Amino acid sequence: MANRFQLPNLGIGLGLRTKHYSTILEQKPAVDWFEILSENYLRTEGRPLDFLDQIADSYPVVMHGVSLSIGSSDPLDRQYLSELRALRDRAKARWVSDHLCWTGVAGKNTHDLLPMPYTEEALAHVVGRVRAVQDFLGAPLALENPSSYAEFAGDSMREWEFLGRLAEEADCALLLDVNNVYVSSKNHGFDPLSYLNAMPFDRVVQFHVAGHTDHGTHIIDSHIGPVIDSVWQLLAVAHRRSAGVPVLLEWDAEIPSFEETHAEALRAREFIGAAA
Amino acid sequence: MNREPTADALGVHERASATPERPDPKRQGTLGRAPAWAEGKLGLRAQQEWFAAIVSTPQAEPAPVDERSASRLITPSATLSSLERIDIYRRGYHARLIECLVDDYPVLEHALGEEAFEALCRRYIARHPSTGPSLNYFGQYMADFCRSEPLPEPGFAADLAALEWAIVLSIHAPTANAIGFEDLGRVPSERWPGARFRVNPSLRILQLGYPANAYLQAYREGKRAALPAARATRVAVYRTGRSVWRLELEPTMVTLIQSLANGATLEAGLAEVQASLAHEPESEIAKKIAHCFQHSVSSGLFSAILL
Repeated sequence: MANRFQLPNLGIGLGLRTKHYSTILEQKPAVDWFEILSENYLRTEGRPLDFLDQIADSYPVVMHGVSLSIGSSDPLDRQYLSELRALRDRAKARWVSDHLCWTGVAGKNTHDLLPMPYTEEALAHVVGRVRAVQDFLGAPLALENPSSYAEFAGDSMREWEFLGRLAEEADCALLLDVNNVYVSSKNHGFDPLSYLNAMPFDRVVQFHVAGHTDHGTHIIDSHIGPVIDSVWQLLAVAHRRSAGVPVLLEWDAEIPSFEETHAEALRAREFIGAAA
Repeated sequence: MNREPTADALGVHERASATPERPDPKRQGTLGRAPAWAEGKLGLRAQQEWFAAIVSTPQAEPAPVDERSASRLITPSATLSSLERIDIYRRGYHARLIECLVDDYPVLEHALGEEAFEALCRRYIARHPSTGPSLNYFGQYMADFCRSEPLPEPGFAADLAALEWAIVLSIHAPTANAIGFEDLGRVPSERWPGARFRVNPSLRILQLGYPANAYLQAYREGKRAALPAARATRVAVYRTGRSVWRLELEPTMVTLIQSLANGATLEAGLAEVQASLAHEPESEIAKKIAHCFQHSVSSGLFSAILL
């Protein structure tokens, strides 16, 4: 089963981080693809773009954003969308993703992935905005399930139902972060397999894995350290149900050497088998 | 001429989707009364305004709602109260923006001390919340902010912040290569007077009241430096290729660069330099003009000759 957007299986990739720029450019390691943080390359004309241009010349690149704020009740930021589209064209990014969240309201940006209320009102609001963004980009947008630490009392559905209905009604793609599924399942007390069982896997075009921090009372999606086995196991289940889509490791705190980071990403092979 | 370390991450804020963590500051005061709009069933807009207001409340202050009001909108979990759950976002919000300012102003942090700098950052975040999608320019108001803050040496702190911000700006400015003497050698002699020079697009000239560059350089070299006394200095900050440079300038260089940057021909620019040296012994003037021009070229301040 291919994903319905016919987006390619790029293999096992890494989140591109500045700490690894020099190693990548000097040693040209064999990495299937890189995911860039879109906002790192917006509002700049300088060195970050110089690095990106060189890396995009040698590797497939996918864009992953954190400021689309698709769930915000503020108007869509057309200037941001224009910049996003220009960056996509410059880097020849295979696709663009962001998160099911909002980052601010009343013109302010918290730069955090704030939780959505899962209501019919919010669903209708986000469906319209995803359609508008896809029209603007002229391509499907992939939305990622976020880690969350709070749930709204007025929720009328669970996150997986909201995400599934959103994907169908807006006709968008999904980026399934299995670490986020795990983190939220612990924070909100649900079975992560219930989440996976509800996913429309023909719309899933990418997986994320990452480490996290368990505080006992709650788990923070810190992207620190190696991926735990329970998350790898979720990846194995999800991958079996998917069309064979690419896997990406995010590592953002206490980032180790490029070699160690890449080795951790390649552990995905143990869980997705020959498909990688 | 001082070269900045070529840390690729300098000036770039990797705003990943990860949630950053940082210890909480001490809270003061008592809980305020729950705002009226926190009561009852709210639409999406009102819920987001409610949530954002709590998240952006400084951590040293109590949350603007009590547990009872918070639980009307956010459910408690098996292990955390509603306010504790919202507080995770509040901590993440402040931690991320503080991280950003620490990245931009490591030497100012060193000069003020970690605790005082973090307190300064928290006040900055309250005064200048981010309004754009990128964090690249979040720290842009720090120099002016320092001048208005009760710091031990606000003038020095402001100058140091201005210097560190110029480094950030040079990273995000368009990349240009520098011309060298071999490029000058290709200019026909009759074209010299009318030649114009394009100044490196990343160049910023700072006129400072304190020797902030010397302090920054001492920090880079791992030396301990006391907060310096006031002394006027002029510093150029610019980038050639991947390297960022800091260069202390003689007044003649400032005159020449500013003149050429404003579109003057080389002849007119050097005439301005000459006029600024009117008080010097005549035997020194030609030497100083030649040195001023040669030093500007060899330092890589120009990116093109326009004939």
